[in-house]
Amino acid sequence: MEINDAAFAVSAESVGAVDEELVERAYEELSEAEEVRKEGNGKWQKWKENFKRRGWILVFILPALIYILIFCYVPMYGILVAFQDYMPGDAIIGEGTEWVGWQNFQTFFSNPNFLDYFMNTFILCILGFIVGFPLPIIVALLLNSLRSKKTKKGLQILYYAPHFISLVVMVGMLELIFGSDGLLDQISIKMGGDVNGLQLFLDADAFRPLFIFSGNWQDFGWSAIIYLAALSGVDPALHEAAKVDGASRFRRIFSVDLPAIAPTIVMLMILSVGNLMNCGYEKVLLMQTGGNLETSEILSTYVYTFGLLGGQYGVGTAAGLFNSVINVVLLVIANYTSKRISNNSMW
Amino acid sequence: MKRIIIGIVAVVLWIACVIPFAMGKTSSSGSEHEFTVLAIKEDNVKDYNSMPVYLDLAEETDTDVYWTFNTSTQYANNPDPVGINGIDAIYHSGFSNLRLYNYGRRGSILAIDQYLSYMPNFSKILDDRPDIAEALKSPDGHIYSLPRVEEMGLKAYPNILFLNKKWVGKLIDDGQLPAGLTLEKSDLVDGLDLSRNQFKAILQKFNDLDMDGDGDTTNEVPLTFVSGNWQGNESDLIASFGVPENREHKTIVDGKVVFTIEDENWYNAIVELNDWYNRGLIRSSAFTQSQDNFLARGQDGRYGAFYWWEKETVVANPDDYIVVLPLSDDNGNRYVGVSNELEVEKGECVILSSCENPEKLLAYFDKFFEPEYSAQLNYGSIESGAFLRERDEQGRLVPNDDHGEQSADDFRMRNAPYGVIYLTQEQWENDVQMESRAVLRLDRLEKYVKPYTYEGATSIPNLNYSAEELNELNVYESSLTNNMLNWMTTAIISAGAPSYDSWQSFLNENRKSIDAVKSINQTAYDRYVAALDDENE
Repeated sequence: MEINDAAFAVSAESVGAVDEELVERAYEELSEAEEVRKEGNGKWQKWKENFKRRGWILVFILPALIYILIFCYVPMYGILVAFQDYMPGDAIIGEGTEWVGWQNFQTFFSNPNFLDYFMNTFILCILGFIVGFPLPIIVALLLNSLRSKKTKKGLQILYYAPHFISLVVMVGMLELIFGSDGLLDQISIKMGGDVNGLQLFLDADAFRPLFIFSGNWQDFGWSAIIYLAALSGVDPALHEAAKVDGASRFRRIFSVDLPAIAPTIVMLMILSVGNLMNCGYEKVLLMQTGGNLETSEILSTYVYTFGLLGGQYGVGTAAGLFNSVINVVLLVIANYTSKRISNNSMW
Repeated sequence: MKRIIIGIVAVVLWIACVIPFAMGKTSSSGSEHEFTVLAIKEDNVKDYNSMPVYLDLAEETDTDVYWTFNTSTQYANNPDPVGINGIDAIYHSGFSNLRLYNYGRRGSILAIDQYLSYMPNFSKILDDRPDIAEALKSPDGHIYSLPRVEEMGLKAYPNILFLNKKWVGKLIDDGQLPAGLTLEKSDLVDGLDLSRNQFKAILQKFNDLDMDGDGDTTNEVPLTFVSGNWQGNESDLIASFGVPENREHKTIVDGKVVFTIEDENWYNAIVELNDWYNRGLIRSSAFTQSQDNFLARGQDGRYGAFYWWEKETVVANPDDYIVVLPLSDDNGNRYVGVSNELEVEKGECVILSSCENPEKLLAYFDKFFEPEYSAQLNYGSIESGAFLRERDEQGRLVPNDDHGEQSADDFRMRNAPYGVIYLTQEQWENDVQMESRAVLRLDRLEKYVKPYTYEGATSIPNLNYSAEELNELNVYESSLTNNMLNWMTTAIISAGAPSYDSWQSFLNENRKSIDAVKSINQTAYDRYVAALDDENE
């Protein structure tokens, strides 16, 4: 019994000790939780107050959110069409949906001209990027270093005005200048050149330069605006300091302005790499002739003619999806590279 | 104050977002009518809802049809209104074989053959004309569309060569005729006989001299056409080398489907055309211009020669132009190809399965095939003055050419809805006369073009493909069409003539597509011939 009692006493003692520890720990935890809750409550309270006071500002962001939701996210389920034998009027998911697996992709890849169309797209877009990306940066830097505010404003308007010309009008202008019986054609004939003058619209080699330079002529001023905005944020004190140190105008562009807008440049570069394979089919389609098909038939015009006009919606969507996947891959690569090199990245 | 202003801005933004949705809902109309039919119509054509011929049709069949419209541009960008609610049929749908089959198979459009008991006229056509019945069938044996049938024997020959006789007369007067060519002014009448080399020499003079007398020797257009267009293309110029060319480069010779691009004569023609181009005899605009550009430029009076169906629509001074026989080759032989434009157009009108009372709507459309109505649909309503008051001795309607200020072309464009009709030899003989322009055209073709058809060449009829064949054709044909257009244009307009090897390698690159398209067409054609033979037995 004694032994038992003793044993009991020992165990009771130890139990008591454990209990005390437990209780103490529990109290601590409780109070900690209480603190956290109180703090949280405080934050929540603060947020609530803030929302009550300024929450209506959020209303402004709603249209944009709804826009993105309706026009960017909701239609995305449409890519399912790439795996279906689809005709308008069919349910995309529902009764009567005809799933065909990868067959549409097979049809697309087995097109004898697939590789040509792919390379045409790639070359046209990459050349457009190489020419079109640095141009607005250079223009913005030059405009920014102009002394006269008036000249700067005037030039800026002059540069971005062409942005508002519609595509059809733009191609019409190109045709009047570079096409058959166009300005250059006429001049070349009158100057006693070849009987057939200059036929840039029929020339497969002239298609890319025409497309890229006309596109950039239209858009470089517009794209420069965002860089100009970034440049206006550069602290004038930096320029003052550089001047005191005897930096030339040119030096200041490289050592003050360019580093200041570098993050903007990187961000825009990542974005445009993610959009690299989209050159826009409308202008290409408008500029197509029998003579330049060799370079002017690209994936998106194929999607339009074969998919939409030919009623092959599944194959058209598959081709579009393929294009988008390439874009996403390029975007990820660009983002990763820039993260490693410059510490600037989208995510 | 600030809050109020911001509040107003927010409200305005919201309204701007919501209004388009609200408007979209109210803009649909026509639901109170028995049937709503979508028609593809240009804006300059009068509203079908008030066209006398449609009012008569509605009255006679006691059917209430409301017409709604898309222009062809709208339709091209959204070619499948099948999913749209509240439409019972599509008129001028222009559905291809593949579209008809795909929609028919899944029941989006109705199989019209199941309603033949309501359609006496259409049934009779199918009974009388097994070739049309065969042409209309889809791979599953059903008929999914109402056709347009206008058989005048015109469409297979869409090119006539016209020459500026005033300019040639000037060459004769000035003693500038090319060496070896003796022509009197009295020779300059329709049906002028020229060899290809003589014609080329005349074009060279047109190019070198100031023919229109404005002091500028560079603005004359010696020879022009619209490359790849359905009429007035370069096909018959190429055909003169002894190859049955048409704009698809695909034809049937003695029951065999052939690609003209594989013919050595075709290559020779391209080499020669390259020479013509580099001499300035064919201007580059022939390869870039649209039909409208071509017609507009024709009004300047600077065309030396051109290919078209009729000169009257092209130039302001048609009397100055004469028809030239197909150009003869060195041995004096003449050839023209046959086009694949068919006079039975398959997908003219489809009935959607959402239509609640298709029997009645089809009975209404069936009336369209009656000769009196077909004639009015084709030329314009009787009440609008499309026909002369008096019928001719045989009791036929006679189309009226005289519309005062309006040209016959403009009148017909505004007043004739076209679409589902049935006019064949029988109707031309008993019910309605052909338009005088068509008679003129036909007359010229009979005299100056048809006799020189390449021996054994025929159009490829409306063939009945199986589902797999349709899909395979679809894969190969689109890229082949692109490649042929590209090679031919580039070969003609490049600085030097295309080498024999470059032609061979072009053929080899496309060998798979050429063979696939050829064999699918051949199989389908053999089936078509066999089916017709069965019918005849």
